[in-house]
Amino acid sequence: MSYKRSRATFEADLTAQQSPYVFFGTPLPPRDPEVRDDGSYVPIWKQEVRDERGRKRLHGAFTGGFSAGYFNTVGSKEGWTPSTFVSSRTNRHKDTPKAVQQRPEDFMDEEDLADAEEAKKIQTNAAFAGLGSTANDATRASGLMGLFRPQGETMGVKLLKKMGWREGQGIGPKVRRKARLELQNDATAQGETFLFAPENVPMIAFVKKTDRKGLGYAGESGLTPIGRSGSKKGSHGDTDDEDEDDYGALGRPKLTMGGGRKKETSKVRGGIGIGILNDTGSDDEDPYEVGPKISYNRVIGGDKKKKKATIAANPTLQAKPKFITKKAASSILGKVGLGVRKCHDGRLPLDGFVFGKESDALTTEINSEGKYPPPQIPRGWVSSKTPKSESARGSPANYVSTADVAKASTLDPKARAALLGEKQLPGKSVFDFISPASRDRLAAVTGRSDLPQALGEVPAAYARSEAEKQQELLDRVPKLDKETAIAAISRGIGGGAPYAEDEEKRARYRGYLEVQAGFRPQLPPKPAKLTDEEWLREFHEFFNCARIFKPMTGFMASRFTTSSSTKPTAATTGDTKEVVSRPPPKPEDPAEEAARLGMFGTMTRSVTDFYPTRLLCKRFGVKPPAHVQPDNYDATSEKKKDDVWSQFQSYGYQGGGGPGTVERELLGLEFGSTGGGGGSTGGGGGSTAMADLERGGGTQKPAEVVLDTSRNEALEGKRPGDEVFKAIFGDSDDDE
Amino acid sequence: MAQSCNRNTPVQMDVYDNNAFNGKDDFPRKILSQLLGSNGPVHAVTYSASPGTYILTGSADRSIRLYNPIPASPSSSTTTTTTSSTTFITKPSQAPSTTPPQGRLIQTYTSHGYEVLSLSVSSSNATFASSGGDRAVFLWDVSTATTIRRFSNQGHTTGRINSVIFAGVDDSLLISGGHDTTVRIWDVRSQSSSRPVQVLGEAKDGITSLAVSPGGAGAEVLAGSVDGRVRTYDVRMGRLVTDVFPGAVTSLCLARDGKTVLVGSLDSKIRLMDRSNGQCLRTYGGDGNANGDAAGGWTNKEIRVQSVLGGGERWVVAGDENGAENSNGEGRVWTWDLLTGKLVAKLGVPWGPGGGKVVVGRDGKEKERKNVVSCVAWKDGGFGNQFCVGGTSGVVTVYGEA
Repeated sequence: MSYKRSRATFEADLTAQQSPYVFFGTPLPPRDPEVRDDGSYVPIWKQEVRDERGRKRLHGAFTGGFSAGYFNTVGSKEGWTPSTFVSSRTNRHKDTPKAVQQRPEDFMDEEDLADAEEAKKIQTNAAFAGLGSTANDATRASGLMGLFRPQGETMGVKLLKKMGWREGQGIGPKVRRKARLELQNDATAQGETFLFAPENVPMIAFVKKTDRKGLGYAGESGLTPIGRSGSKKGSHGDTDDEDEDDYGALGRPKLTMGGGRKKETSKVRGGIGIGILNDTGSDDEDPYEVGPKISYNRVIGGDKKKKKATIAANPTLQAKPKFITKKAASSILGKVGLGVRKCHDGRLPLDGFVFGKESDALTTEINSEGKYPPPQIPRGWVSSKTPKSESARGSPANYVSTADVAKASTLDPKARAALLGEKQLPGKSVFDFISPASRDRLAAVTGRSDLPQALGEVPAAYARSEAEKQQELLDRVPKLDKETAIAAISRGIGGGAPYAEDEEKRARYRGYLEVQAGFRPQLPPKPAKLTDEEWLREFHEFFNCARIFKPMTGFMASRFTTSSSTKPTAATTGDTKEVVSRPPPKPEDPAEEAARLGMFGTMTRSVTDFYPTRLLCKRFGVKPPAHVQPDNYDATSEKKKDDVWSQFQSYGYQGGGGPGTVERELLGLEFGSTGGGGGSTGGGGGSTAMADLERGGGTQKPAEVVLDTSRNEALEGKRPGDEVFKAIFGDSDDDE
Repeated sequence: MAQSCNRNTPVQMDVYDNNAFNGKDDFPRKILSQLLGSNGPVHAVTYSASPGTYILTGSADRSIRLYNPIPASPSSSTTTTTTSSTTFITKPSQAPSTTPPQGRLIQTYTSHGYEVLSLSVSSSNATFASSGGDRAVFLWDVSTATTIRRFSNQGHTTGRINSVIFAGVDDSLLISGGHDTTVRIWDVRSQSSSRPVQVLGEAKDGITSLAVSPGGAGAEVLAGSVDGRVRTYDVRMGRLVTDVFPGAVTSLCLARDGKTVLVGSLDSKIRLMDRSNGQCLRTYGGDGNANGDAAGGWTNKEIRVQSVLGGGERWVVAGDENGAENSNGEGRVWTWDLLTGKLVAKLGVPWGPGGGKVVVGRDGKEKERKNVVSCVAWKDGGFGNQFCVGGTSGVVTVYGEA
C-alpha cells in the first residue's frame, strides 16, 4: 500500500540526500527552492527554459510570448514598452511633436554596450602589434621592430595565396613528376606521374655581416627569453645529461635549426676558446657565458648507453664520418623531422657546418647605422699583442691598392699599347662615320660636349653618287594609282583641292599627282628649304591625301555620285580669295534652297502622313482619317465596313430618307468624286458633294464642286439627326 | 490705296468697305491707354474672346494681369502713374509731357514660377491657358484666379513652353509647343488623365508659335519652329504639310477664313502664305518690300517678334526688335497694307511712365535700353479697331481710333 509522501517528508529526505554530511545544524536549502535539484523527473509541461541568468525564457502567449522582448525586458523599467497602435490617418506622424527617436543603444544590454565600447577602441593592426602581441615568442624576438613592420603575412604572400599558392610550395607552373612519398617510395606507384607544385627554392639572402665571426659561423645570439629555453627543455625530454647541454634559464639556446639535437655543434662552438677575460669588446659576445664546457662524466658507467641514443638520434652529426646512403639518411631525417634545412642547392650543409641564422635584414640595417655603437675602448688600453715587424711584410702605409694605382695612372689605352709594344689596330672610331646631326644628338643625350667630331665618312663600299641618292629617294616616294591620281587632280580643279592655304605646297601636291598620273616625266625638284626627310614625308602626306579620291569601281560607282560635281556654279562663283580651306558644305536641302530663293510653293512643301489619335479627332469633331482607322475600332464601324457605302455613311451625312436616298447619294458621290478627290480619302470634299446632292434632289449631276472650306454648305444645310452622330462617334464626351 | 485693291482680293473685307470708301484711314494710331503694373518685360498680350473687352498680359515677373483697357476717368490715371514708376526697368527721369491714361488692372494671376510666355483665352471667356518657363501649361479660371488644371506631368520635359493655344470643339483641347521641339495636345475635359492626347514630335528645333484653324472650318494645327518650318497637321485628312521658310519661324497668324497664314521668320520678312498651295502671296518688311522706306526697313533677325493680321485682314501689324533711335526708349510698331504690302504706319511706342531709357549695362556703362515690341494683339470683334502691344518696357500700350 502506497501513499503519497507529504511535502515535509520529501524535503527532509531531500536534505538528507543533498547534504548527507551535515550532522550539526540545519543544512542550507537548495539554491532555488522552486527547483527541485534532486534530478528527479519533471514532466515536460513543468520544465522551464531559463537563460544563463535564470530568467524565464518562454512565456505564455498572453504574457509576452517567446522571450517577451529582448530577454524579458518587456514592461520592465528599462525595457521596451509596447506602444499602442495609432492610426496614421487621423494622427499624422509628421504632425506629432517630435517623435521619440529610438537609438540602437536602447535595445542593447550591457554586453552589447560593452561590445560597442570595445569596437570604439583604437589600436594598432594586429600585424603591427610589436608590443603586447600574443603571438609566439619567436616572432617577438625582433622586439621593437615589430612596431615598424608588419608581422605575419605580407601582402605579397596574401596575393600569392589568393592565386593558389601555399606555404612551402615554389612559385611557377606545376611540374609533372613522380610522387615523392618520402618514407616508403619503393614499391608504390612507380611509373605514375602527377602534377606537383614546383619545389620551393629558398631565397638566397646575403646578409650584411656585422660581426667578426667566421664565415658561416653564427655563434650565439644574445640573451634568450626564458620561454624558449623552457620549450627547449620540454623537447629535450628527460635525458640524464640534461645539465650537460642545457644551460638553464640564462644559458645559450640551442640553434634553432631543425628539430634534431645538435650536441656536437654546441661543442664546436664552445671549442673556440674565448674567455670572459679576453673580451673583444663586441657586444655580440655574451660576457656571462660560462666558458668552454668541459664534459664531466658524473655517472660511473652506464654513460655509453645514453650516448648511443643521442648519436642514433642524428647520425649525420656523428663525429666519425660514416657512409650513409642518401635514402637511408633521408628516411632517418624524415623520422627526425621534416624541417631539416637544406642548402639552397638542395643538399645538406657540409658536415661540421651549420646554417647561419639569417639575422633580420631590417634590424641589422638599423643596428649597423651606429645606433648601438660598440663600447668605447678604455683610455690608455694597449693591446698586449703587437703587430709583427714591418720587415715581414710591406709597410701597410705604403700599400696602394690596384684601383688606386689605376686611377693614378696617366696612361691611356694607346699609351699602354705603346708601352706593351702592341700594334695599333687598323680601326676607326664610330664618330668617323656618323653624321654631325647624330653626333650632336649623342652629345645632347650623354651631356658630354667633348665627343670627337663626327666626320660622316662613307665607306667606300657604300659610297654613292648624288644621282644614285636622288634615285633612291625617288624610289621611296609612294606610288599612287593612275586612276586615283587623275581623280584627285580633277577634284582639285573643282576648287576642293587641299592645301589651299599654301600655294607652294599645293603646287608640289599637284606635281606629285601629275607624276603619278603620268602627265609629267619626273617630280619637280626638291625645294631648298626642305630636307630629304621632310620632302619624303610630304610625299607620304600627299599620298594619303590623294588616296581618298580613289574612284569607285563597278557596282559601287553606279550607285553613288559625287556631291561636289553637282554644284559647279558654287565652285566657280565661290570665293576665290578664301584663304582657309573648308570642308565642302553639306548638301543643301533643296526645299531650304528654294525658300531662300523665294520660290515658295511645291518646292518648299512636302506632304506626309500624320496619324492623329482617335481622341484628338474626336475633340476636333472630325472623323479619323482612313489610314488611322484602328483595328480596335468598335464593332459598329467594323460591321459598317462590310457595306459598300459604309465609308460614305460614316462621314455623317447619311440621309434619313431610307435606302433610296442612300443610293442616290452613292450615285452622286461617284460623279462628285472629281471635285471631292474620292470619297474614301476626301472627307470634306465628299461631304460637300453629298450636301449638294441633297439639295439638288439627287437627280441632277453636280457639274463641278467647288471646295470652299470657309463656307461649309453641308453644315449649313440640313443636319442629320443627333442619333446618327452618336452612332458614329460613339460615347458622348461627358463620360471621360 | 486700300480701296483700289479691295475689289479683287480674296480676303473678305465687306465689313470695312464703308470706311474705306470714305477715304479715311481708320488705322488706330491714337494711344488709348497704357497698362501698367508689370515688373518686367511683357511677353504675351491677348484680348479676351469676342467682344474683346479685356486684355490679358503675361509678364516676365511671373504673373498674368487682366486689364480693362478703357480708362475709368482721366483723373485716376495720374495717381497710379506714380505708384508704378518704381519698377526696376523704368528709371525715373523727366516725365513725358503728356501722360496717356491708364487702363484698369482688374486681376492678377500668380502661380507661375517662371516668366509667362504665351496666353490663350477660351472662346467662352471662362478660362484661359498660360504657359511659360515652368514647363507646364496652366489652365486658369478667370473669375476665381486659380488654376484649374496644370498640364505638366509627362509634359514638356525640357525648356520653356513658347506657345499655347486652345483648339478643338468647345475648346476641349490645349496645344502647347516649346523648346523641347514637341507639340503636345492636352485634353481639357479629361480630369483624370495627365498624359497628352498626342505628341507631335516632327519638329527638329524648338516650337515658337502655334495656330489652329479657326472655328469648325478645319481641324488643323499649325506649328512654327526654329528649324524654319511651318508644319500643318491636318487632323481630318491625317496629313502633315511641311512648308519651309528661309529663317526660323517666330510668328504665325491665321486669317479668319483659314486660307492664308501670316508667317514671320527671322529673315526680316513677314510672309502671307497661301495655305492651299504653299505659295507666297505677299512679303512684308525687309528690303524686299517696295514701300520706298529703304532707309529704315523692318528687320527681325534675333528676337521673336509677333506679327498679326488686323482690322479684318486689312493690315499686317508687327512689333519691332530694334526700337527707334534717339527716341527716349521708344519702340515701334509697323503696319503694312495686306494687299499692297505698302507701309501704312510706323507708330512709336513710348517706354511708359517715367520714360526711363537708360539702364546700366553689365559693363557698368549707361546705355539706352531698346524697347523691343515683341507681342501684338488685335482686338477681334467689338466696335472699332483696336490693338495693343507689349514689350521690354513692361507697359502694354493700347491703340485705338482717334
